[in-house]
Amino acid sequence: MSTLPGAAAEIRAEASEPRSDAAPAPSDVRTGRSPGRVAWDRLKKDKVALVCSAIILFFIFVAVFAPLLVSLQSVDPITGTKADVSTTQTDLVDVNGYPIIGMTSAHWLGVEKGLGRDLFARWAYGARPSLVIGFVAAAASTVIGVTLGLLAGYLGGVVDRAISWFIDFMLSLPLLLLVVAVVPIVELRFGDRGSLSAGETSTIRFWVIIAVLVSFGWMGLARLVRGEVKSLREREFVQAARAIGVPTRQVLFREILPNLVGPIIVSASIAVPAYITAEATLSFLGAGLVEPTASWGRTIADAQNSFARYPLWLWPPVLGISLLVLAMSLLGDSIRDAFDPNTRR
Amino acid sequence: MLTYLLRRIALALTVVLATLVASFLLFFAGPSDPAQAMCPEQRCSTDRLNQIRESLGMNRPLIAQFSEYFTGLFVGRDFQVSGDTVQCSAPCLGLSFLTNRPVSEEIFSRFPATVLLTVGVVVVFLLVGVSTGVLAATVRGTAADRMLVGGSQIFGSIPPYILLLLFALYTTRLYPIFPQAGSLSDGVIQFLPGLIAPWIILGLITATGYTRYTRNSMIETLSMDYVRTARSKGISERKVVGKHALRAALSPVLTILGLDVAALLSGTLITERIFEIDGIGRRALAALGQDDLPVIMGTVLVTAVIVVSMNLIVDIAYSFVDPRVRLS
Repeated sequence: MSTLPGAAAEIRAEASEPRSDAAPAPSDVRTGRSPGRVAWDRLKKDKVALVCSAIILFFIFVAVFAPLLVSLQSVDPITGTKADVSTTQTDLVDVNGYPIIGMTSAHWLGVEKGLGRDLFARWAYGARPSLVIGFVAAAASTVIGVTLGLLAGYLGGVVDRAISWFIDFMLSLPLLLLVVAVVPIVELRFGDRGSLSAGETSTIRFWVIIAVLVSFGWMGLARLVRGEVKSLREREFVQAARAIGVPTRQVLFREILPNLVGPIIVSASIAVPAYITAEATLSFLGAGLVEPTASWGRTIADAQNSFARYPLWLWPPVLGISLLVLAMSLLGDSIRDAFDPNTRR
Repeated sequence: MLTYLLRRIALALTVVLATLVASFLLFFAGPSDPAQAMCPEQRCSTDRLNQIRESLGMNRPLIAQFSEYFTGLFVGRDFQVSGDTVQCSAPCLGLSFLTNRPVSEEIFSRFPATVLLTVGVVVVFLLVGVSTGVLAATVRGTAADRMLVGGSQIFGSIPPYILLLLFALYTTRLYPIFPQAGSLSDGVIQFLPGLIAPWIILGLITATGYTRYTRNSMIETLSMDYVRTARSKGISERKVVGKHALRAALSPVLTILGLDVAALLSGTLITERIFEIDGIGRRALAALGQDDLPVIMGTVLVTAVIVVSMNLIVDIAYSFVDPRVRLS
């Protein structure tokens, strides 16, 4: 079971794609529209995609306006202040650490067991790292995957063999185990723990996670692009461009790359939820984000032991991450169908 | 054929060798300092740290450490641990810093638990995945088809660890419908009931993919000419689907099966952690928390070997089925 997008995703995509297909041509294909435009028009009519986009936008809204949303909560009568994301409020928990209040107007989702921090604030702020890691890591691994795939596929020969070997090598590694192992190692290299504040350590950890996830997550796309480029470079239009002396760079970026927009967008859109899942999994396994950054994965890990007595702690982040990843995955599937309607049959 | 085989095996060997070198550099030449983690005192003096490093053999030149490790893989090594000699027979992956037992022993003694987990999961996802896939393909386009495909899509899109965790929390702890995992040392019969819950949930999660592959592959096969021929000869629909189409439709599914088995054998970290099954994944996670480098590195190596050999088997099997593969 791999949580990284690189591993088996590409093989699965191949296996699930139909090859010989006798389906009639879709009626909405008209001449004069680019493939991207056709896909976009199809996507706009897809109701699942619409609902999923709304859910994703909701979470982006929560993440962006987290401070504002938190300030909408009323003043707490016990502490006499408004809740924020990091303040410890031990007045709100009993001697066993369990909260003495439930869902109130001052704490929409109650407070954390033990430290008594406001759970709505933790939840709203917790959407931030998930989304940032998802999008940044997907963008970075797309760039790396496309670059290496282009180089391997177009140059061929030794370069191709070296890159292909490297892809094979990376894919045979136990990715999750290595990511969990490598995060603290990379962190040690870039930050001396003793002299940094908790906030700085947390920021370093955040970027280390992105870097490690990206370095273990680009292979699927690289392999896909390599295969596509290998077949494209033999096509007449590429040979014609080369014959009239178009420089290699321009052949790559003007002739070949535009033909790969579809698979690249599809792969990137599937990578975002995969990275969000990977981050939450890492946080759950104890190699993810650290305090004081609010993270759904860590809240889930903290809350699991009191789930029976205090389910309110566990469920909001569980629903948050499930809904966000589900919406993104289904949107990714819709995007794939929009580029290649034959997959939905 | 022979050249293809040799080339493929040579490639696999280079990958294993590279994993060995890379993980050695990463863990032993990297900035991690197991001495710090192992020091019993609160604030460790430099002398004490050096003493621990010496006892671990980490103060010697890297090349010497590596060549010892490498030869140990083939001929075994002997370790001196506080006066005693611990024999580490080939393939020696070093000694655990914490338990002073050979890493190979630590890993292989836990391997049966992981294998039992994997086997059950494979049985569940093949049964569920292939049967729902075939069912969806035969009722293609109906409400039942849409429900099966949509359901598997939704179920397969939720982060697996969330499903595993919720299932474990609610069905083994809050409402003990399924027994919790025990230890394999109590005997297989006592151990197996504890695996029912992970078998079901991990099997169902993995099955979602197989529902879709099988359905797509089946739909494709059912539109082939030979299936039409079989139908026009008057062979019953059950025989056409079950015998003529299913066999052909399953060959792409089998490729993915090989890779998934490898992934399961090497990647049940989360399942083993959540359901507290004492397999290699849980051991590796424990080692990570304790900076027990030889165990982490040993697990990385062993799992890489599993993945590489599984890939090799799948490729070679495929080259028998489809001769075109050999030429590429």
